[in-house]
Amino acid sequence: MGNLYVPCRAVLEQLGVDYVIPPVNSQRTLSLGSRYSPEGLCIPFKMTLGNMIEAAELGANTLLVPGGYGICRLGYYTRVQEQILHNLGYDIEIIQLGVSERKFLGMMDIIKRVSNDSPWRRILSAFRFGLSKLNAVDQIERIVQKVRPVELIPGTANQLYTRAVQAIDNADDYDTLKRVKADYLGQLKHVAINEQARPLIVGVTGEFYVVLEPFSSFDIERELGKLGVEVRRATFISGWTKFSLFLNPFGINEKSRIHKAAYPYLKRDIGGDGWESVGEKVLHAKEYDGLIHLAPFTCMPEIIAENIMPSTKEQMPVLTILCDEQIAKAGVLTRLEAFVDLLERKRRKQNDQLRVTV
Amino acid sequence: MTTVGIPRALLYYQYYPMWKTFFEHLGAEVVVSPPTTRKTLTEGASRVVADTCLPAKVFVGHTVSLVGKCDCIFIPVIRSLKSKTYNCSKFLGLPDMTRAVVPEAPPILEIEIDINRGKRRLYQDIYKLGRHFTWNPLKVKEAATAAWQSLLDYRELMYRRELILPQAMEEITGESQTGLNMILKSQTVPPTTIGLIGHAYLLYDEHINYQLIRRLQQYDATVVTPEMLPGNIIEASVNKLAGKAYWTYEEEVVGAGGHFLESGVDGIIGIMAFGCGPDSLMMDMVHRHATRQKTTPFMCLTLEEHTSETGVITRLEAFMDMIHRRKQKGEAVCV
Repeated sequence: MGNLYVPCRAVLEQLGVDYVIPPVNSQRTLSLGSRYSPEGLCIPFKMTLGNMIEAAELGANTLLVPGGYGICRLGYYTRVQEQILHNLGYDIEIIQLGVSERKFLGMMDIIKRVSNDSPWRRILSAFRFGLSKLNAVDQIERIVQKVRPVELIPGTANQLYTRAVQAIDNADDYDTLKRVKADYLGQLKHVAINEQARPLIVGVTGEFYVVLEPFSSFDIERELGKLGVEVRRATFISGWTKFSLFLNPFGINEKSRIHKAAYPYLKRDIGGDGWESVGEKVLHAKEYDGLIHLAPFTCMPEIIAENIMPSTKEQMPVLTILCDEQIAKAGVLTRLEAFVDLLERKRRKQNDQLRVTV
Repeated sequence: MTTVGIPRALLYYQYYPMWKTFFEHLGAEVVVSPPTTRKTLTEGASRVVADTCLPAKVFVGHTVSLVGKCDCIFIPVIRSLKSKTYNCSKFLGLPDMTRAVVPEAPPILEIEIDINRGKRRLYQDIYKLGRHFTWNPLKVKEAATAAWQSLLDYRELMYRRELILPQAMEEITGESQTGLNMILKSQTVPPTTIGLIGHAYLLYDEHINYQLIRRLQQYDATVVTPEMLPGNIIEASVNKLAGKAYWTYEEEVVGAGGHFLESGVDGIIGIMAFGCGPDSLMMDMVHRHATRQKTTPFMCLTLEEHTSETGVITRLEAFMDMIHRRKQKGEAVCV
């Protein structure tokens, strides 16, 4: 999912575990996944099943999958996926990282198990190294989001980003990692940009998987960048690890602000990211020009959010895009273009009004 | 006197006798929306986004039909009834969603039931609900006890006397449900036993399932429903089929399905709504087991507002024909 493979590879490599990383998500992954899935399931299930099959083809015999109680259907996915894999004749064991119940400790236990009982010191240092890689990737991505819409030569930021992720993935120790990170941050700073541009700001929110996995949403952020739109997104994997694993058990919740904003319209956690989606609309209505709400088709929490969103007092244009295996890139692009046109016109109108009053 | 409106959808089928007793003990009057019609469904579907599931659309339609007929609408939020089980987001967000899509609706009475938060919290929540009618905690307690008793009676009617849910409802509340006991005409076919699995709001809503039970009875079939099975049997087969229970309302699908697969019914019909999150997983689980077992025929009907009545009838006829032929030939394995 997204760049999650970078830190995972780092952890497993440091511990000397024999691992395979399934190939990058492709049309084949999706086709495999949807062929063997029950039809009514959402795209994260189908994609991950595709990943599992591809991993099994490469000879994996144990799969690590995060999941747990209370997060929509996801908590149940691995049990079904395991059965499907067995029916297909793969002898494979799925280990569920019960992150939602036991947080950090649960994750550590499992890492210890797969690393053939490495000493704790080694596990912790490997884990720390993985985290710093994750943070580096996310830090660079945040800057790329800002540079993309205003760069003078289109595509520069994307190229740098791809190279940076690769370089971070290849870094073996802290020194290299630090150097690589500084190097790319510097390069990004020196990309020629249009200083006068005031790009539209569009928030991207919705279900965790489709927001973070570019393949399932047709790389929506890059496409928006091409249209000259700055993307803001609250969901980053590094943010999630920081809070879900370390701070939440101590009662610190980064989302309480979002939840508070959503409270008048949705009073409780409905699983998945539904509560956050509503909250983001309310919270950022003044700050953003528009919001893109990504959801997998048949996603239960996001459907509720989608139903509630139009009725909030805080007004902001929202475009909901449902992702599934039937969706076509051209369709998404057309809708994005129309949405951006609408936002531009809205902004122009506001500016005209301002001029008149002045 | 306050009038409490209850939409005839979703959890109504399982809990109506309990809710009715509770509110009436507290001195309120209870109004139920009329049975689902084409209009209810269209109204509901026009309010929500297209990919909302069928039962939720029906629910919204019923809520709309209650507007102006009551002072408040009761919509409970049921998160979990057993420790570490979880419910579909649609149930959790129901009051908020209704408020958003039916802005003209009267105030909504909510109660959140979550066993994981402990007994004390549960009692507090019940009292909070009662506070809308009386300040007296003893009165609330009395009402709650009576309500619980009527739920137990209701369930007992179903699994001891094997009444189909609407009949049990009729007996306990004295309100006429639509005439399920009316059998149109009997045909000369060998008697069969058909296990039905699915949520009560799909099995007993005659409009959205095209009178499935009545049609089965026409074929001289004895219908067994999940409500007729005692809790421990269901729990055992849930554990067998799907491991530890994860969903609050899925035992009526997996538990009952697992039991029917072994108890030797002549066929199983599963009913699910298109886009139902939990069912898409659990129905598949039952399907997988039925395929592996190869002894009990299994058919899954997926309902949505575009399902055509003819399509359902054709599939039902084919399924029943297959079962009858099999019965006459005395085959043990289904092909």
